[in-house]
Amino acid sequence: MLDILSFQLVSQLLINGILFGTMYGIAAIGLSLIYGTMRIIFLAQGTIIIFLAYICYWFFKLLGIDPYLSILLVVPVSLLLGMGFYQGLFREAAALEDKNISLLIAVGLMFLVENLMATMWSSNPRSIMTSYTAYGVSTLGLRVSFTRLMGFIMAVLSTIGVNLFLNKTLVGKAVKAASEDMEAAALVGISPHAVNGIAFAIGIGLAGTAGVALATTYSFDPYFGFIFALKAMIALALGGMGSVTGAFLGGILLGVLESVGSFVISGGWADAISYGVFLIVLMFKPEGLFVRSVKKA
Amino acid sequence: MEKHLLELKRVDVRYGDVQAVWDVSFHVNDGTIVALLGANGAGKTTLLKTISGILRPNQGEILFSGRSVVKLRPQEVVDIGISHVPEGRRLFTRLSVLENLELGAYPRKFRPFFEESLGRAYQLFPILKERSHQKAGLLSGGEQQMLAIARAIMARPALLMLDEPSLGLSPLLVKTMFELIRTLNDQKVTILLVEQNIHQALKIAHDGFVLKTGKVVMSGKGNELLANPEIQKAYMGTLG
Repeated sequence: MLDILSFQLVSQLLINGILFGTMYGIAAIGLSLIYGTMRIIFLAQGTIIIFLAYICYWFFKLLGIDPYLSILLVVPVSLLLGMGFYQGLFREAAALEDKNISLLIAVGLMFLVENLMATMWSSNPRSIMTSYTAYGVSTLGLRVSFTRLMGFIMAVLSTIGVNLFLNKTLVGKAVKAASEDMEAAALVGISPHAVNGIAFAIGIGLAGTAGVALATTYSFDPYFGFIFALKAMIALALGGMGSVTGAFLGGILLGVLESVGSFVISGGWADAISYGVFLIVLMFKPEGLFVRSVKKA
Repeated sequence: MEKHLLELKRVDVRYGDVQAVWDVSFHVNDGTIVALLGANGAGKTTLLKTISGILRPNQGEILFSGRSVVKLRPQEVVDIGISHVPEGRRLFTRLSVLENLELGAYPRKFRPFFEESLGRAYQLFPILKERSHQKAGLLSGGEQQMLAIARAIMARPALLMLDEPSLGLSPLLVKTMFELIRTLNDQKVTILLVEQNIHQALKIAHDGFVLKTGKVVMSGKGNELLANPEIQKAYMGTLG
C-alpha cells in the first residue's frame, strides 16, 4: 500500500514539476535568443510574460475570446512588441561596447511595465475561469489538469518551432551565426540590427505563448514577473547559454527540483532550492548541464 | 593609366584615445595583388576593419571604384563588392561548412547566384565539398582558412581582403595558400593581402606597402621591395 502511494506521489510530483517547468523553459528560450545576439539577460522577460497574460485575460474577460483562440492574436502582437522594443529602446544601446546600458534599459522597462500594470489593473491576483479550467485527465491514479497539459503542448511546439527556424531557415542560421560572432556576421553582410530585432521578436513571441499558458493555468499578479525572469535565468544557466533545447530542458529540471524539493522539505523552500542550484551550477558547470563543451579551434 | 579600385587618402583612425593609423594613403590597382606589410601592431588589421566599415576613420577618405565608402555599414560594404576575411578565420563553428557558405551569400543581392558561387567555391576548394556537412569548428586549421576564404568569395567580391591567411599553417599549407591567392587573382579578383609572412607575400604581390606604427614608411613594386636591403634587414631575418 505504502509503495503504491509513494509511486503515485512521486509520479504526481514529477508531472507537476515537468508541467510547471515548461513555463520556465519557454521563458528561458526567449532569454537565450536575446542573450545570443544582444549579450544581455533580458530581465524584463518575466514581466512581459505577465503583461501578455493580462492581454489574454482581458481578451477573455472583456471580449469573451477563448484563451486558446486568443493565441492567434497574442503571439502576433508579441512578435511586433518584441521588434518594437528593439527598435524603440535597444537599437542605440546595442551598438555600444558597454552592455550594461542595455541591461539597465531592460530593468527600467521591467519596473515601468510592472508599475503600469499595478496602477491600471490593480495588484489583485487574476485568473481565467473557463468551462474547462477544472477539467483534468486521470489515468493510473494520476491526475493532470487539462490547462497544464495544454501549456506543456504549447511549450513543446514552441521549442520545436524555434529550433526549426534556427536550423532550417537562412535567417535563422544568420541569427545563430550572429550569436556566435557578431563582427564576423556583419562581415558577410548580416545586419546586426536585423538579427537583434528578430531575436527580440521571437523572444517576446515566446513570452506571448508563455503568457497564455500562464493565464489559463495559474493566478497571477503584476509582481510575479521578476521572480519568473529569475527562474528563467536559472533554467538558462542549467541548460547552457545558446542552446534552445538545453534551455527548455533546464526549465523542466528546475520545475521538477522545485516540485520535489518543496514537498520533501517544505513549500517555502522552493525558491531557496532554485537559487542554491543556480549557484552550484554556475560554480561547477558554468557552461550548463546539457552542453557538450566544444573548444574553439 | 591603371585604374584604382581602392584608394585611401590621408586616413586617420583612433580607438578611443589611441591613434592606430596616421595619415595613411595608398591605392590598390584593379586586378592586382597588393601586400600590406608590417610588424604586429603596425595598424594593418585596423586599416582592413576601417575599409570594411567596422571602424570609422576620424579623418580622410576611402574610395572604392571612385565611390566613398567611409559612411557605409559593413553589410553595405559587402554589397558593393568588398569581402573581408578576418584574422583568425572567425568561422561560424557551430554551423556546417555548407551553412557557412550559405551565409557567405546572405545579402539578397547574392542569393540568386548561390548555386553558381557554391560551384566555384567547391572547385577552388574541393576538400570543402567532401566536408560540407561537417561542423566548421571540427575542420583542421588549413581547411578552416580555406572555408573562410570560400565564405568570403560567395559574395562575388571585386576586392578580397585577407588578414593573415597563412597564420598558424604548416609550411606546406602556406605554399598552397599563396598559390590559391594567385589563382583567385587570375580569376579577376583584386586582392589586398595583410601578411607577416613578408617574403611569400612579396613574391606574389604586384605592389606592396609597409606600415610602421600606423604610418606608411615604404612602398613599391613587389619585386623591388623584395630586393630592398632595408626590408631584408628589418623583416626577413625575424619573420621570413
